[in-house]
Formats: sequence, C-alpha cells, structure tokens
Amino acid sequence: MKTLGLIVSIIAGAFLMYGTIDMPDWGDPNSPASIHVSPRYITNTEVETATPNMVTSVLADYRGYDTLGETTVIFTAGMACILLLRRRGGVRKARR
Amino acid sequence: MDFIIAKYNYLIYVILMMIGFYAMIAKNNLIKKIIGMNIFQTAIILFFVSIAYKKGGATLPILTHADAHGEHAIQVAQYLNPLPHVLMLTAIVVSIATLGVALAIAIMMYRKYHTLEEDEILKAIK
Amino acid sequence: MIIEQAPPLIVIIVLMSAVATPLIGWLRKDLCYPWVVLVLLASTCCSVLVLNTVIHEGVIHYYMGGWLPPWGIEYVIDHLNAMMLVLITGSSLLVAIYSKRSLEAELPDRTVSFYTLFLLQVTGFLGIVITGDVFNLYVFLEIASLSGYALIATGEEGAPFAAFRYLILGTVGACFYLLGVGYLYMVTGSLNMADLAELLPALYGSKVILVAFAFFMVGIALKMALFPLHMWLPDAYTKAPSAASALIAPLMTKVAIYIMLRVMFTVFRPYFSIDLLPVTKIMLYAGIIAIFAGAVMALAQRDFKRMLCYVVIAEVGYMVGGVGVANAVAIKGAILHIMNDVVMTLGLFLVAGILAYKMKNHEITAFDNIFKKMPFTMAAFLVVALSVIGVPPTCGFFSKWYLIQGSVMAGNWTFVVALLFSSLVNIILFFRIIETGYYDFGASGSGHAHEEGSGVSEAPLSMLIPTIVVAAAIILIGLYNQSIITNIINFAVPKL
Repeated sequence: MKTLGLIVSIIAGAFLMYGTIDMPDWGDPNSPASIHVSPRYITNTEVETATPNMVTSVLADYRGYDTLGETTVIFTAGMACILLLRRRGGVRKARR
Repeated sequence: MDFIIAKYNYLIYVILMMIGFYAMIAKNNLIKKIIGMNIFQTAIILFFVSIAYKKGGATLPILTHADAHGEHAIQVAQYLNPLPHVLMLTAIVVSIATLGVALAIAIMMYRKYHTLEEDEILKAIK
Repeated sequence: MIIEQAPPLIVIIVLMSAVATPLIGWLRKDLCYPWVVLVLLASTCCSVLVLNTVIHEGVIHYYMGGWLPPWGIEYVIDHLNAMMLVLITGSSLLVAIYSKRSLEAELPDRTVSFYTLFLLQVTGFLGIVITGDVFNLYVFLEIASLSGYALIATGEEGAPFAAFRYLILGTVGACFYLLGVGYLYMVTGSLNMADLAELLPALYGSKVILVAFAFFMVGIALKMALFPLHMWLPDAYTKAPSAASALIAPLMTKVAIYIMLRVMFTVFRPYFSIDLLPVTKIMLYAGIIAIFAGAVMALAQRDFKRMLCYVVIAEVGYMVGGVGVANAVAIKGAILHIMNDVVMTLGLFLVAGILAYKMKNHEITAFDNIFKKMPFTMAAFLVVALSVIGVPPTCGFFSKWYLIQGSVMAGNWTFVVALLFSSLVNIILFFRIIETGYYDFGASGSGHAHEEGSGVSEAPLSMLIPTIVVAAAIILIGLYNQSIITNIINFAVPKL
C-alpha cells in the first residue's frame, strides 16, 4: 500500500505540474479569471447590492444559492453526528 | 527558471496536495488519514486563493470610497478577484463538515473495536 | 405560477422539509414517516410537471435570484435532467414508503435523524442533477456524499469501516472534481456550464484543459465505482441498512454517470471528448473490463446483497462502455440504460431488503423454498431478474439492444461479447437463487432448521407494494420504450 500510494501520488503530482506549464502567471491582473466574470462584481457591487464588501455581495446575493447549499452541508454534518454518535441513555448507564 | 518564479504558488500547492494524498492512501492510522484529507483540501483552497491574486497594488475586495464617480471610478485592477474567495468560503465549510463526519465515524469505530489502526480493525471485523 | 416556480420547488421542498423533520420528530416521532412520504410525493409531482413542460416546450432556464447566467447561478433543465429528476424523486418516494418496517427492525431508536438524512440525500441528488453551474454541482455533490456516508455507517457489523473507506475515496473524488473546476475557472473565468461551453473551444489545445478534463473524469469515476476504483462499493452497500442501500445503490452511481455525460458533452463539446482525445477509447475498454470483472466477482459471492453490488459494478460498465462506443445509437442505449438501471437496481435492492427483513440474513443458501412462502415478492423478483438478464418484454432488453446495435455499427465486437457474456452470467446468478428458492432443501439440512424457516411468510404490504410497483414499471417502460425514446431520450443524445 505504501509503494502504491507513493507511485499514485507522484504520478498525479507530475501530471498537475505538467498542467501548470500553460497556466497564466501567478498574480497577472489580465489573466482570464480576472477579466471575464469578476469585473462586474467589483464595479457594480455598490450599485446593484449596496454592499461595499464584494465577497459579501457575491456570497449572499449573486451566488446566494451556493451559500444555501453550504449551510445545508453544515446541517447534514450535524445530523450525521447525531445519527452516528447518539446513544440512548448511554450517559446514564456509563455513570453507574 | 522563469517558469518557476512566475508560477511557484501553483507548484507549491501541488507538493502540499500530494503530501496529503499520500497520507490518505498509505497511512495505517485512521486519524492520520483524516489529517491527510485535511491537508489535501487545504491545498486546493490555497490553489483557488492563488487564482484570485493580482500583482500591482491590488487590495482587499472591499470598496474604500463610497462615491465611485469621476476620477475615483472603480478600477478593476485595484481590487482582488472576489469570486474565488467566495468559492473557498463554501469549500472550507464543506471540508470542515467532511472532517466532522469522518471523526464521528472514527469515534464509532473506536467505541466498538478500541483501536484506530486499519489492520487491527480489519482483523476484528473478520 | 406554480409551473414557473416548479424547478426550484423540486429541490427546495425537499431541502426545507429536511430541516423541519427533526422538529416534527421532536413533536411526535411517528409523524416522521407520513411527513417524508408526503414531501417526496409533492416533489415527485413537481418533477413530473417539469418533465411534461420540457417535453412540450423545450429547455427550461431558471435564474436563481434573478441574476443572469455567468454571474449568478442558473438551473438548466433539458430532457436528460428532467428524466433524471423524475427517476430520483420517484424512486426515493418508493423507498420512503418501503422504509417504515425495515427501519423499525434495524434502527428503532434513530428514525428521526435517519429520515432527515434520507431527505438530505435526496436533496443532494436533485441539486446535482438540476443545476447548470459547475461549482453548485460540487456543493450538492458533497451534501449527497456526506449524508450517504452517515446513512451507510449506521448499518450492521463492519459498516463504519466501510463508510470510512467510502468517505476517504469519495472525498478524493469530489476534490478532484473541484480541482477540475478550479482549472477551468483559471483559464476561462467562468463557472456556468453553457458559458464554459462557449469559451472552451478556443482553448482546446491547452495543457490546463487536458489536466482539468482528466481530473474531472478520474474524480467522477471514483464516485461511480468504475472497475479499478470500485473498492469502496461492495462493502458499503452490503453493510448499509436496507432502506439506505435501496436509496443509494440505484441513484449514486447513476447520478455520477449523469455528471460524466454533462462534463463530456455539455461543458466540453463532443468533438473534444471523442475526436481530440482518446477518452472514449479508454472508456470503452474500462467499461469492458468492468463488465467482465463485475460478472466474474458476482459469481464468486455467496451473499445476496454483495452479489447485487457486483452486478451494479458490471452495469456501470455497460453505461461507460456505451458512451465509449461513441456513436448516437450506443449513447442512446446508454442513456436509456441509466433509466432502466435505476429501476432494476431499485427492484433488486428492495427484494434484498425484504429478504433481509424476513430472514435476518442475506446468504443465498438461506433462501430455501422461498417461492412458496413469499409468492408476490418472488414474482416481482423474477420480473426484475428477467430484466437484468435482458429478456424481451422487460425494459432491460431494449437498452441492451441499442448498446449491441451501436457497437456492431462501430465494429466493436469485444463490447458485444462483453454484453452477451454478462447476460449469460446474470442467467447463472439469478437461476442459482431461483433454484434454491424453488426447491425445499430444508429436508437435507435438519428438521429443526426447516421448522424455524416455516415461520417466514409474505412481506408486509408497505414493503410489498413498492416492490410490485417497480416490477410493473419495468414491464411498462419495456412496453412504452418507443415513446420514451422519441419523446425524451432522442433529445438527450448529444449531437455528434
């Protein structure tokens, strides 16, 4: 398992590094990620959502549905812990 | 060499991610696997946040002056890209939730088998 | 009004009810079951309405919060999604009806949290299928996965370990998917599927795109349990509680196949996935290997549920191989097989759950004389088994027919051989159970064992009715397959 893990992770890492060759440089203000969708969030946040903090306006307004999903993930994890760890009367029995 | 200087963030995240990936596959102790999983997810967060960075004096994505007209018009290059940060807020929450469920399952197993070593649990099941 | 708002209602009804379930369970515990059934019934009605609208009026776009697509999140519902929505809501409704008695037997003190996670699981599946945004898909994928891990971990001896292994591999799969999203975002700046499809063709030579595509495919293959990456599936589905495995086993793998189709044919153009890269060739051989491996390992199993798990792995091979053949007929077969396979796997796991409920055991050797004791259950089982084998009036025949026709047209004889081999193995697998079940071997054991078994009678109605509905659906889909294909599937096949 150890050698297998080493081989798999080296192959995956080498492949990811191969992908970085064609990436835009780190911190380039004109990279595609910075000029396609996000400029609207920066320029229009005040006009469209009246929120100076752009992260807030994207989180709670433009992509608010993702945040609903995020909250549901937390709820899922909480219910999962209740389902898995709750022991009926377990505490009282353990004390005796 | 230029390649490394221009993109070292993207290379470092790969190394970090593969450390986590190796731990997830190869470690015998369940808690070590969970730690590996967390390193793995954190590396992805690092990658996304690196996308958001802009060189040349860009600041936090919060408007500093409210009257955004005339010569104070908002320059896109002045502010970091907010979208990857938003995505990563969600991804952080997801990774914490996964961590919680993983630890809950680990506790369940510890209660039953009194060990967290994978091979000992496998022996106990059979 | 309600028709306009039906697409989000499908998801939101289930999501909000999941949050309300603990409150209702706190008031009165036995209200949970009717509540879950009611909620899923409402959601099923909405999804049927949406399917009807899509068939008559074409693709539905719904903008979340009114923000236009590349900036906000949109729902895009075409024929493929609409079909998946009906399948998911319909089969989860059947499992919910069915779950009452088996839960009382298996998890009597944890029904409230079980039902909450049950609804969250359905929410996850629906959210994955309905969305038109790659990152939103990831969020709902995690909801579905997390609730799946928890539901599986509540099963019998060894279930937590199986769930833990599933959690580790499932997280790797989901993270690879997220990494693919990140790579695409980096070079295009967009997260919307339709927008990505517009922007990507200019970049098809880029190494970043190649890596992104590879990570998407590997991540999804982990989630769908394609053969060399299937290690988590048999243990997890065998040891899960019957109601959980009946919900997760038919849907999780098929939803993953849906994601694969979306990534290959909507986010990327078909000519990228088929002509530019040798992806379909790899998929074809992966599918063939999965069919052979699944079939052979299914033969080696003595546990009924575990055998079904390997049948599921072989069926994943059908669909992946069908897409790998890469002509319109075979992909039509693969999409039709998604539908059929949800129904068939659901039927198999429902029967397995009934047998586990009655026998407290899922070894095949325990099924003596079962046809006489539970005639209706086993009649339904017979229909499902015939469909898995691929006998004409049932639906399994037609998808297999298109798959074989497509691969003959492409000249892929290995895939034809694999499909026929799998049918042959399925005959042996199910005949073995029918043989054990039809004859009374009790005499050869001891009189005592026989007497103990004779207490077994027909399953309770709440379990029997869903099973019979599934058997009827298998025959109905088979009979009406032509109208299903002309109205739904033909539109879902990508234009090659």
